[in-house]
Amino acid sequence: MSCAQDMTPRRCLERVSLMANERVAEGVGLAVFAAPGVARDIRSGQFVHLRIAEGASFILRRPFSVHRAAGDRIEVLYQVLGVGTRALSLAERGAEMDLIGPLGTGWSIPEGVAHALLVCGGLGAAPLGMLAEELAGRGVAVSVAQGAPTAERLVARELFSAAARRHEIATDDGSAGQRGFVTLRSEALMDADAPDVVYTCGPEPMQRIVAAQAARRGIACQVSLERLMACGVGACLSCVVSTVHGQRRACVDGPVFDAAEILWDRDESPEHEG
Amino acid sequence: MSHDVDMRVRIGSLELRNPVMTASGTFGSGREYADFVDLALLGAVVTKGVGLEPWPGNPAPRIAETDSGMLNSIGLQNPGVEAFCAADLAWLRTQDVPVVVNVIGHTVAEYAAVAARLSREDGVDALEVNISCPNVDEGGMAFGTSCAAAAEVTRAVREVTTLPVIVKLSPNVGEIAPIARAVTDEGADAVSLINTLLGMAIDTRTFRTVLARGVGGLSGPAIKPVALRMVWEVASAVAVPIIGMGGIMTGEDAAEFMLAGASAVAVGTANFVDPTATTKVADGLRRFCAERGIAAVRELTGAART
Ligand SMILES: Cc1cc2nc3c(=O)[nH]c(=O)nc-3n(C[C@H](O)[C@H](O)[C@H](O)COP(=O)(O)OP(=O)(O)OC[C@H]3O[C@@H](n4cnc5c(N)ncnc54)[C@H](O)[C@@H]3O)c2cc1C
Ligand SMILES: Cc1cc2nc3c(=O)[nH]c(=O)nc-3n(C[C@H](O)[C@H](O)[C@H](O)COP(=O)(O)O)c2cc1C
Ligand code: FES
Repeated sequence: MSCAQDMTPRRCLERVSLMANERVAEGVGLAVFAAPGVARDIRSGQFVHLRIAEGASFILRRPFSVHRAAGDRIEVLYQVLGVGTRALSLAERGAEMDLIGPLGTGWSIPEGVAHALLVCGGLGAAPLGMLAEELAGRGVAVSVAQGAPTAERLVARELFSAAARRHEIATDDGSAGQRGFVTLRSEALMDADAPDVVYTCGPEPMQRIVAAQAARRGIACQVSLERLMACGVGACLSCVVSTVHGQRRACVDGPVFDAAEILWDRDESPEHEG
Repeated sequence: MSHDVDMRVRIGSLELRNPVMTASGTFGSGREYADFVDLALLGAVVTKGVGLEPWPGNPAPRIAETDSGMLNSIGLQNPGVEAFCAADLAWLRTQDVPVVVNVIGHTVAEYAAVAARLSREDGVDALEVNISCPNVDEGGMAFGTSCAAAAEVTRAVREVTTLPVIVKLSPNVGEIAPIARAVTDEGADAVSLINTLLGMAIDTRTFRTVLARGVGGLSGPAIKPVALRMVWEVASAVAVPIIGMGGIMTGEDAAEFMLAGASAVAVGTANFVDPTATTKVADGLRRFCAERGIAAVRELTGAART
């Protein structure tokens, strides 16, 4: 709607239409939007702030990572949790919504990276999709450690298998991969592959463990944190993250942060169930 | 249909291009929304609350969505007046829009110190004295719920500045008109209302309050009828201009506030719903007047009758 046509990517408010929306795992949907402005400018790890429906019960937009972007389309992988994501799961092809994006600071790929490890738990896979493809496209060796409660709740399996040289899975019940936490796989892969950088997203306690594993080995680690967000553009200070540099806003300074900067335990993060 | 509605309004000595301002704390310092809104199309930018020293704000979660509204307990997080002048104000000065700075303090002396400091800076067009934040233990709303305290803060700020002084009133009082009178008696050039209404939400799954602080301030469409009623009451109690706010989402909502007695309006929570809400409200208000053959928007002020 009001996307700038110049070269500097700006955040814009864009009217988008739903091209496809299907269930891809237990309680998880994949929504594909025609969103030419955002699709053109989005970088991996950034997010969009989606207005799922209008009306009195939807005051706030909902933040979602962009899982993949191709051509004029973006993909959003979402877990059905509450009123907003339930409404999204019921939206049909052709539905019109609007979003603001691209928002936030995404993943950074340090110069000279040869090997990267991606560690995700549950829907933490969402913001790592674009990154996995981007790294693979640049010839970086990618390993993925992926966790979920059960095999039925694993998402983006094909994407990661295609992009990664190694893709290891852990589930709570052992229905796929190793039984147990993904942090067992991440630690093993750090030792086996000696990656130059670790990227992680998922429940905050998991990210914290992964960050500690990386720190012990002297490996740089980036985390992607979730906070409740009202504006999404840095104005309201709803989404603060405590860091060694003071309070930072997850919506502009993050959601991706250098793990070494985070003061864990200071804030309560919203967590996905399961 | 005539399109040349005169949209100019006056708040004391401050002349605004149109009556639509931003509500403090919902628009950052304007820069955050500059990708979406041409600030020159706004009546004024009202900044977030600025204190003497940095304030850390409250623990998270700081917001909760409620029916037709939201709760916040941000707690006036701000970098302090020096950092504000160096960064936010320096940027705002380059913009073609009047700037109103929202002033906060833990004590009367702090309010006065911030007001004095801002009065020495170029590019500040008015001060909005926030005696109505429900999200801090010390200062904030404590000054807005008693006539004596409200008067004392206003007097202290009035003594140190020649800028227009707007006092922002709390709705968390039994009667708002006496507070409005108390601050105008001390020389407030205008009053703005309402700040958020104290409220709370509880997570029935965990039996815990949704906000880390327990309680917070309710804003958005849910509070509009309360806000309108208070603007109406204050309009009949004081002669100074009123800046009305609380749940304004459309031009028609803004017209309602003006009809109730406001000379200007502010848009808050609506920015989160639609980052272009401010200019849409201004356009809608202009259309509202044009469609009714109203030549100047200021004719709306106080035109409602029972
Ligand atoms: C930067 C960022 C990226 C995200 N990316 C994804 C993604 O790719 N896929 C995905 O499934 N989820 C993602 N989330 C979480 C997603 O925003 C929430 O699950 C969603 O807002 C829940 O909305 P609801 O109406 O269904 O839930 P409700 O619980 O009914 O929502 C009530 C309110 O709480 C907020 N909320 C609830 N849970 C969260 C949460 N975990 N994080 C932030 N806000 C929350 C909602 O936005 C809403 O304002 C992301 C969150 C952030 C901050
Ligand atoms: C997130 C948030 C932060 C706010 N911060 C301030 C503030 O710093 N100072 C202030 O005077 N009012 C603050 N307010 C109150 C608004 O300026 C406004 O008075 C109130 O939200 C009602 O308007 P609305 O319903 O349009 O949002 C804040 C409101 C919100 C929602
Ligand atoms: S969501 Fe408003 S500052 Fe981050």
